[in-house]
Amino acid sequence: MKGAGRFQLLHRSLLFRYLLIIVAALLFVPVVIPLTIAVYSIFAGATHTSPPKEYEQYSSIDKLEILWHEEARKLLGEPPADITKRLSALGEAYPLSRIFWVDPAGITQLVTEPSGPPLLLTGEAPAVPAQWSAAEAVSFMKDSAALKPLAIVAFIGDRAEAAEGFMVMQIPEDITETKYAAGLDKWYTIAMLVFFLLFITSSWFFFIMIRRRLLRLQTAMVFTGQEGLPQIVPPGKPDEIGRLEEAFNTMVTELKAGRAREAEEEALRKRLVADLSHDLRTPLTVIRSHLHVLGKEPLSPHGQSSLELMDQRIESLGILIENLLSYNLLNSGRIALHPERRDVLRLVRESAAAWYPVWEKEGYQIEIDLEGAPLYWEIDDSWFRRVLDNLFQNILRHARSGLYVGILTEIREGNRVIIISDHGGGLAQSTDSAGAGLGLSIVDLLLKRMDLEWSMESTAKGTEVVIWKRDAPNNLNKI
Amino acid sequence: MSVTLLYVEDDREIGSVVAADLREREYAVRWLESGDGALEAAEGCQLAILDVMLPGLDGFTVGQRLKRAYPELPVLMLSARTSIDDKLQGLDFADDYLTKPFHPDELAARIEVLLRRSGAAAPAQLTLKHLVVIPGSSVVTEAATGREIMLTGKQFQIFSYLLRHLGQILTKEQIYEAVWGESYIEGDKTLMVHIRYLREKLELDPAAPEIIETVRGIGYRVRG
Repeated sequence: MKGAGRFQLLHRSLLFRYLLIIVAALLFVPVVIPLTIAVYSIFAGATHTSPPKEYEQYSSIDKLEILWHEEARKLLGEPPADITKRLSALGEAYPLSRIFWVDPAGITQLVTEPSGPPLLLTGEAPAVPAQWSAAEAVSFMKDSAALKPLAIVAFIGDRAEAAEGFMVMQIPEDITETKYAAGLDKWYTIAMLVFFLLFITSSWFFFIMIRRRLLRLQTAMVFTGQEGLPQIVPPGKPDEIGRLEEAFNTMVTELKAGRAREAEEEALRKRLVADLSHDLRTPLTVIRSHLHVLGKEPLSPHGQSSLELMDQRIESLGILIENLLSYNLLNSGRIALHPERRDVLRLVRESAAAWYPVWEKEGYQIEIDLEGAPLYWEIDDSWFRRVLDNLFQNILRHARSGLYVGILTEIREGNRVIIISDHGGGLAQSTDSAGAGLGLSIVDLLLKRMDLEWSMESTAKGTEVVIWKRDAPNNLNKI
Repeated sequence: MSVTLLYVEDDREIGSVVAADLREREYAVRWLESGDGALEAAEGCQLAILDVMLPGLDGFTVGQRLKRAYPELPVLMLSARTSIDDKLQGLDFADDYLTKPFHPDELAARIEVLLRRSGAAAPAQLTLKHLVVIPGSSVVTEAATGREIMLTGKQFQIFSYLLRHLGQILTKEQIYEAVWGESYIEGDKTLMVHIRYLREKLELDPAAPEIIETVRGIGYRVRG
């Protein structure tokens, strides 16, 4: 059971299948080639004539050669009659061959005639010369070298110095002919080619299949549905990619659950903030309204100024609540901005127009210079106004000592910037810098979301806020 | 004829004080504690003040229904929520918006602006320095001499736009776009030229204008 399970696991594995192909490729050379040869020769063997039985003893030329030299060594120092006798006996043992020997004087002593096929396929072999001249010896050696017919030559005593002549065994061409060996013909080539193609196509299909499934998975990851999440992929084969698909589906499901949870938390947070806002502001409104009623009663100047102070504090508290809760909502990153190409100078002008009477009433010196070509930035109209409101409010609340507001546009380091400055004592000196800090955090959050940069320099002599567009094209070459 | 305001506020403490304050300012106030019946009650009102968080139908829904039934009726929203929440929900229909805790004077000022803009509370005549203006008509007279000043079409349009936004600073773009009905192109001198002619007719000393004030760097304003 366990073994079967393991096999099933292996069978499901892409690695296993790939290894199968690799093993097939490796076996191709050392195993498949000999195997095919063997298989081929079995089949091919049935189709051709096997050699006659008496040819067997000549099948190994090497053996014959060893035998021949052995015999030659044994004949060292023997008288010619004994040599002739021994060779005649060998001639009887190897009747298909022609055996002869030549004495030291160059006279042929014995020639046995082969009883089987002629020595040469083309006809009768040249007769052995009775008396060997140098020319005849060379001619014989040349024919032997060309295997026509095959001749095994040994000096008597197996060495030339013995000077006792030489002995020769000639084997007919018919026996040594290769027609009995298993030959390779076109069918074998075709079979090999088929094997080769099979190997290529199987590995090709293997990768095509993997590639197709990976691409399908990639498509599923890239194309997102309505909620901005990838779609679940239909499960395929349970191999590595199948498990990847499964893991992917699990991830998508978890992501969806996570999103739902997040949305739920966000809704909860919004409701909480809204309730909190309502619960804080309602009593403040009641108090403020009653302070107003109280202010109409006859009061001492001291009482009146107390009332005014209370009213101012309620106003500050209202702003603080607004900033606190806005920051909370903005910081969650769930607030959508709708950036559009807008003329920022115009927006600043309109916003300043709304604040102008307030500053004027407080006796501020107001300097506004927003002339020039429109300055187009990709911004969200209402959020940019909120940024300006927070900055202007800070001037009113924290820079009262300077009684100055400057709103201008100029070019700094190649960028057109908007500068909002005051001559107040700086934020560090302000009585409630924490409140201002919160307002500025909102400014920071919103400007970052609109891809705008800003800087603030606050000294005892005043504060200067500079806003510019991030990565303006003419800024790129700047060091 | 007194101006009637529809006021929808569920918080009794706020409602009673605010309603009393508005009555003291000589407005007739119809105060409802929920949005139910607001449509019927709005009949004959010149302005609606709505709280955003109301039991039952919320202020946005009530406001949108009112606007649909009475497109000319100015709607002022009072909100105790953060402005982010309110903006997300869409305040497009409302003419103005005020967050709590507001000062009663601020509310009164906003009401006045809205009424003036809608023409509901147009005073019979308006005195501006040495001039007497009858809003809604093209009649401008010199108070001392009774001499009538004739304005051309564009001059009158510019002047009445400024009068409708009495005390407000208006940018060049805002005036141009309201009067000409097309977007302002930076560098266009048309408005400046018209204002200069207008001043020559209206001001005692056009070089030192008192009626149409230039707010440097921003635009123009006619103070009430």
